[in-house]
Amino acid sequence: MSFSSLLDVSIDFDTSHLVFPTLIAAVLVILLVAIAATNWRVIVSAVGATPTWPAGIDHMRFFGTLIATVIYFIAMPAVGNLYPNTGLGFYICSIVYLFGLGALYLHKRDRRHLTIVTLNALIAPSLVWFILSEIFNLSLP
Amino acid sequence: MELFDILTPLFFILIVVGTVIGIIFGAIPGMTATMAVAVCLPLTYSLGLENGLALLLGLYVGGISGGLVPAILINIPGTPSSLTTTFDGYPMTLRGEGENALKIGIVSSLVGGLISLAILYFFAPTLADFAIKFSYVEKFLIIFFALTVMAALSSNMLVGIFSGILGIFISLIGTYDISDGGNGEYRLLFDFMVPYLDSGFSLLPVLIGIFGLSAILIEAEHGMPAGQGLSGVKLPKGKPFKFSVFRGQSVNLCRSSLIGTFVGILPGVGGSAASILSYSQEKHFSKNPEEFGKGAPSGVIASESANNGLTGGALVPLLSLGIPGDSTTAILIGAFTLQGIQVGPLFIGNNPVTWDVIIIAMLAANIVMFLIMMFAIRHLVKVVSVPKHVLFPVILMMCVVGAYTINYGIMFDVWTLLIFGVFGYLAHKIRLEIAPFIIGFILGPSAEIYFVKSLESFGTLSIFFTKSWIAGVLWLLIIMSIAFSIALSRRNKGHGQA
Repeated sequence: MSFSSLLDVSIDFDTSHLVFPTLIAAVLVILLVAIAATNWRVIVSAVGATPTWPAGIDHMRFFGTLIATVIYFIAMPAVGNLYPNTGLGFYICSIVYLFGLGALYLHKRDRRHLTIVTLNALIAPSLVWFILSEIFNLSLP
Repeated sequence: MELFDILTPLFFILIVVGTVIGIIFGAIPGMTATMAVAVCLPLTYSLGLENGLALLLGLYVGGISGGLVPAILINIPGTPSSLTTTFDGYPMTLRGEGENALKIGIVSSLVGGLISLAILYFFAPTLADFAIKFSYVEKFLIIFFALTVMAALSSNMLVGIFSGILGIFISLIGTYDISDGGNGEYRLLFDFMVPYLDSGFSLLPVLIGIFGLSAILIEAEHGMPAGQGLSGVKLPKGKPFKFSVFRGQSVNLCRSSLIGTFVGILPGVGGSAASILSYSQEKHFSKNPEEFGKGAPSGVIASESANNGLTGGALVPLLSLGIPGDSTTAILIGAFTLQGIQVGPLFIGNNPVTWDVIIIAMLAANIVMFLIMMFAIRHLVKVVSVPKHVLFPVILMMCVVGAYTINYGIMFDVWTLLIFGVFGYLAHKIRLEIAPFIIGFILGPSAEIYFVKSLESFGTLSIFFTKSWIAGVLWLLIIMSIAFSIALSRRNKGHGQA
């Protein structure tokens, strides 16, 4: 067998969709092993030196953002189905979402700051909804 | 449509609006030009290609330029590419020359932007004409070369390659598209995922998630620190700005702009590499290297002309080869995709009016950036002090609007935004390289077609080495970039041990 025949490849069209993903997956595994082999000291010391996630982070703001965002995404189409093709699902839920996040991110929750957050929660979604849904006729949930 | 029909007042208004918003994004630490372009991209859907490009290129130029404001005034780079501006800009502020330093940076940004634009104008069509001759083999090798360059300049070569390959892997989820010559079969999917991921993850929600949502999650993790805002910063009159400060700086300006442009042309290499390289070169060649880091105007000039040099440079591979030069230009691909236009070697020849529009928009954006920042910098400093509890919820809402509207209202795209926002956050934690990941994600489907079709046509892997002399040159460049990376890694290790 000559060297050039070692490089010969025959691709069956019916299974051609698997050729590249298989090759890429193999390269990913090789790279992962290579990274682990060449950097294991750095990885071990980094894991040992830093507190295990999620320790050391602002739980309230980080997980609050994630949970509020998930609720926002679930609520938008649900509310939107009550008022179909109006974009009101987005509009109503965005007001609540912006107020919730704004209040969550505040460091000092006094009347002045909460008023700013409330105004922001009312004005920004109203503007976006009016411009996109009413002027540009873009689809909103 | 004729060029002059496109250059309407709206076109120029959008450039001004884009540039102003870009400057504001660039000037707020933690927010970048990439984020500005990603968040505003869906708005271009209803504007059309040319007007959309006016807005996005304004955002790009403004976003890169705005980073100098906090870098000089509060010692925090607004964008990574303004890192070296802090070295001399902030010491100048401390001795009461803040406004002077800002204006030196603004003029340098303009010069860097214009030089790189000239190179884009003359070089991109030539490169595109040459690239038209490329077959699938050379096109695959170009993508391979782009990935090795990105990896070579990553902080860890293996991680850089891994990130790029991971991007390719995720881009392959879905159907092997019949319209590209595939067999229409699904791969990397469970059956229940088929209704959602038939065509894979949509590009724009992925980009908006990685650059928008993840940045906010990182801020939330740190408790949304109020930080040192720009609101309290005073700009004393101090020494008035004079253009004479640029006397004797023409070599510095040209060299730094060219370095920025060259780094921009290399795929996936960020602006911070451009400004660090030009700053170190200027320090190396300076007659007074000891003044650097203590408020030397030439340091600000080197840094700012280089990072704006990046803007035109990064568009060269995008418009001539279809390969983005940096993360922001990767998002610009989305603007073309939205309008059904594919960028690549045929783009300039087939779309001469759009090409002229891009050049005019870049030129106008640079001039607008200069005028706004030069004459309204005191007012801008006040504008960028918008608190995070007001700004970030609005940005999150805009991310959702962008993801939802991009494909005419698909809720799964909104969930894609969340999935990749969390992915971007985790990638940041474990130090994956985002730029190679994004470029791998964008180029993955093309790489697959070029690779598989080459093998189907020729039936041997040797074709990748023997197809043409261009393939040989590309292999040489690939080997050189890997060798450069290994040498760089060894030198860094040596410095670490010393």
